Amino acid sequence: MIEKKIQVVNRLGLHARPAAMVVQKASRFKSEIRLVKDEFEVNAKSIMSVMMLAAEKGSFIIIKAWGEDESVAVEEIAKLFEGKFGEE
Amino acid sequence: MENVTIEKLYKEKKDFLELTLLTAEEGLKKKILNNEIHRPGLALSGYTDRFAHERTQVIGETELSFLQSLDQNKRKQLLENVFRFEIPCVIISKNLYPPSELLEIANRNHIPVFHSRLSTAELTNRLSLYLDNIFAPHMTIHGTLVDVYGMGLLYTGKSGIGKSECALDLVERGHRLVADDMVNIIRKTPEIVIGTGNELLGHLMEIRGVGIIDIEKLFGIRAIRIQKRIEVEVRLVLWEDDLEYERLGIEDKYTRILGVEIPVVTIPISPGKNITVISEVIAMNHMLKVYGQEPAKEFSRRLINEISRKKRVSDYLESDLE
Repeated sequence: MIEKKIQVVNRLGLHARPAAMVVQKASRFKSEIRLVKDEFEVNAKSIMSVMMLAAEKGSFIIIKAWGEDESVAVEEIAKLFEGKFGEE
Repeated sequence: MENVTIEKLYKEKKDFLELTLLTAEEGLKKKILNNEIHRPGLALSGYTDRFAHERTQVIGETELSFLQSLDQNKRKQLLENVFRFEIPCVIISKNLYPPSELLEIANRNHIPVFHSRLSTAELTNRLSLYLDNIFAPHMTIHGTLVDVYGMGLLYTGKSGIGKSECALDLVERGHRLVADDMVNIIRKTPEIVIGTGNELLGHLMEIRGVGIIDIEKLFGIRAIRIQKRIEVEVRLVLWEDDLEYERLGIEDKYTRILGVEIPVVTIPISPGKNITVISEVIAMNHMLKVYGQEPAKEFSRRLINEISRKKRVSDYLESDLE
């Protein structure tokens, strides 16, 4: 298993549209992928769970993955957060 | 575009428009070229510079009483002036009869003249209905049209993907089949497209492995509908792992049918998926949107509010040095 801690940097945080982007990206990988924020750990392939995190700007999220493509998966998802989901 | 001859109009709508032919039959070969109707009052008074002669001409009481007020020579001269144009046909409304010169000149120019018992307003109304229908843009689509809770869902997708089976399931649950396999579509207004079935096929349906079945005979009259406005296109596709499907439904996707914007929902099919229930939800969800409610968008706004509230609290606590 590998994991990576990232920070939410876009102004509106992890709202519906970014959540959908994360889920669509995560669904392309075979690995089991989880997002952890505070006491919550959710399946990154489930849109409702990811939205439930309601992660605001400045908060930290740990991306965890295990499976054959775990490292690419974590990198690709981290890239979405770093790229501010194409937002400001 | 099919050829619309005066003969067709006369045959099909003789009773509806209460028509009687006053001139020789050879004029019936003439064609109607568009859906417009013209009242030739100005042309009859002598001004023919912008005479819309290619339209169906309707003459009412005003025009006739004007003609009657003239002396015979003047009347003949003005009528000749109008009937030298290529006119598809003339209909005289309100159960009135034209002066004999009009029929004589029309016959000479092979222009058919009818008499109708309807008032001018009623005649132009019914004539417009008929002509608009005939000249409306139309096409045929390979798909299945079902009325689900009053919403017209047009199913499209490859042959054998299960459009008919889905429609059958919906009919079983009390919804109504409009057309299977071939849907004739016409554009009634710039915003509305209407689908109907093929007259010959009726409400027949082919179910793979069973053959041709008759929905009306099997399920009764309540299971069918002659025509329905198309409100949502449901595209059935085979599930593919690497294809991305709609997850939120915040942004509507649209397609164009005869130039009319129609929302489109793409549903991936996989074993165990109940398309029927999903169809009912699509119909009801569209109804909600029509009535001004968009649950997905409302939730999205709520989520953004919640996130920014949390941000304000954490900022406050961070700057708190107590």
